[in-house]
Amino acid sequence: MDTAKKNGKSDEILLEVRGLKKHFPIQSGFLRRVTGYVKAVDGIDFYIKKGETLGLVGESGCGKSTTGRTILRLLDPTAGEVIFDDPNIGKVDLAKLNRSQLKRVRPNMQIIFQDPFSSLNPRLTVGQIVGEPLEIQKVASGQALRDRVAELLQEVGIRPENMTRYPHAFSGGQRQRIGIARALALNPKLIVCDEPVSALDVSIQAQVLNLLEDLQEKYDLTYLFVAHDLSVVEHISDRVAVMYVGYIVEMASTEDLYYHPKHPYTEALLAAIPKPDPRKRTRPIKLPGDVPSPANPPSGCYFHPRCRYAEDICKVERPPLRDIGGEHWVACHFAEKLQLQGVSRLNEIPLIELPKRQAPVPATTTATT
Amino acid sequence: MTNVATGTGTAATGTQIVSEDDVVRVEDLRLSFYTTLGVVRALNGVSFNIPRGKVLGVVGESGCGKSQTGLSIMQLTPGRIEGGRILFREFNTSEVVDITKLEKNGPEMRKIRGNHISMIFQEPMTSLNPCYTVGYQIEEAILLHQTQDKAEARRRAVDILRKVGMPNPERIADSYPHQLSGGMRQRAMIAMALSCTPTLLIADEPTTALDVTTEAQILDLMRDLQNEIGTSIMFITHNMGVVAQMCDEVAVMYLGRIIERAAVDDIFYDPKHPYTISLLRSIPRLGVARGQKLESIKGTVPDPYSTVPGCPFHPRCPAAIPGLCDAVMPDETFVAGSRTHTVRCHLYT
Repeated sequence: MDTAKKNGKSDEILLEVRGLKKHFPIQSGFLRRVTGYVKAVDGIDFYIKKGETLGLVGESGCGKSTTGRTILRLLDPTAGEVIFDDPNIGKVDLAKLNRSQLKRVRPNMQIIFQDPFSSLNPRLTVGQIVGEPLEIQKVASGQALRDRVAELLQEVGIRPENMTRYPHAFSGGQRQRIGIARALALNPKLIVCDEPVSALDVSIQAQVLNLLEDLQEKYDLTYLFVAHDLSVVEHISDRVAVMYVGYIVEMASTEDLYYHPKHPYTEALLAAIPKPDPRKRTRPIKLPGDVPSPANPPSGCYFHPRCRYAEDICKVERPPLRDIGGEHWVACHFAEKLQLQGVSRLNEIPLIELPKRQAPVPATTTATT
Repeated sequence: MTNVATGTGTAATGTQIVSEDDVVRVEDLRLSFYTTLGVVRALNGVSFNIPRGKVLGVVGESGCGKSQTGLSIMQLTPGRIEGGRILFREFNTSEVVDITKLEKNGPEMRKIRGNHISMIFQEPMTSLNPCYTVGYQIEEAILLHQTQDKAEARRRAVDILRKVGMPNPERIADSYPHQLSGGMRQRAMIAMALSCTPTLLIADEPTTALDVTTEAQILDLMRDLQNEIGTSIMFITHNMGVVAQMCDEVAVMYLGRIIERAAVDDIFYDPKHPYTISLLRSIPRLGVARGQKLESIKGTVPDPYSTVPGCPFHPRCPAAIPGLCDAVMPDETFVAGSRTHTVRCHLYT
């Protein structure tokens, strides 16, 4: 199966997350008393193997970005363990590190943000932006720093001469490349890609996705790829985890998850993808109501009020995430019984060949038009 | 610049497709923005028509002028319309008006805007007024165009909210936009747009800001309402999947021009213009060629202040013919053997 499509994949685990929680307090009244919690991430477990890409999908507000940021300690977790296999120090629990200890681990884990317009400081030149991590970690300075920055920019397809220009002079796709160069600066092992292509046009999106894949191969990177575009995630991920209101409801290899989903929510998500084939017009599975608020989730399985297969037990008992064989993890009471529909492959619609470059036209023809 | 000359030639060919059944016919529309940095020619001779009860998809990358085309029809564009006509015919009448000739805020235009032509915008967050209830905002349109009776307007507003699938429409009518989720707001926008049963609905990226499941619901809703009311829709989007699911016909735009126009099936199964082909090749397809490189279009859309000689796509085109594509703007021509499929490319002339 093509789960092992990329070389350099091993069974070694780079990052393991156990029972990770992130609750945001809701304050109200004059004294700002805490009246409740938004349980953005509420006890999730997963692991990422070295060299693989784990896609993390879900609707807005399901906690996928919060997960990415909590892992990197950009947000402090409320509970849980984040065990990272640092190449220098060995296995460490990121959730327990203090500032100075974190600084030693940080070079190995980086992030690429969604919005290429707000994630680059407009007052710094591109050279300063990409060089900043190198300066902070005291890796290089002076000419060595400039050389490294030039090399990084070259790597992501930006001409090094542009080092002295400011971010506003670049297009969205180029800015995203600068963001990628910054993330690469310290030779990280893990990169959290937080919706890296959702702000880009299709043609540019393809360029950035290809760049991410090239870099992964070249530097043996591991990605946590957070996105809501299911076609993009299918393209780039080895395994995919689906989140719903702070929980992972299903996690499996891309092949299994897309073509043999076991959770009704995954089925509904897949059915909703608009397929780029006018001969296959689909009606979405009706999901009644809205995504519940993580401040006030329903009882039992959080998906039960919208689930068309729900039974009494779903209202009372929350199903745990369990392995039903072949590293296919599902949180559903009826995972084995349900016959769910995966996506259909779009291999019937032809890929039209691009016309080839033609010979120059003699000057006479040009004159007539 | 030779824009003007070539553009006029286009209009002549473009109008050939027009039949009696069109609700709107845009001919050689030109729009410019005069900015301190220079002139941006946003639309350089756009011609198309939308038949009654059909959905025309307008696709292209950001900055290609697809939103400005929609805004021009509504006379809401901040740019200056410098040429061309926008002929509009409302339901059950034979009277045709040229929208470009109407005064922007004149009584005729105000009678059309929101009544015969209405529009849904991308951001449901910013396009509803946060200070008024959803019901009030829908009633406002009904009171302005349909009836003077406030109770009747209220009844119609609740009706239309029910029609767009709102649970408990009476309560929603009394809610403020911030109390609703993104999908609900977009439904409220659709309700407002459809409250006067418009002849033409311009939907400018109506689902881009929404999640897939909500997007699917909204598309489903628009399709149902379109069947029921018989409204023609101009559907502006950059998502090829949404185009395939929603549209009857497709116009592909690049740098202020329509470069290919065909029935939706032809666009996906028999695309002609290298740009359309590249666009289709660059989207990830489920289950196909996973783990392989996506194809991308080299380079980026040129700077809007500059003008590209010849075909605007030639610097990025894999099949550009030196000496022709970089010098002469191709005309819009019919693809051999088709009466509906037009393309603007030297490969097919």
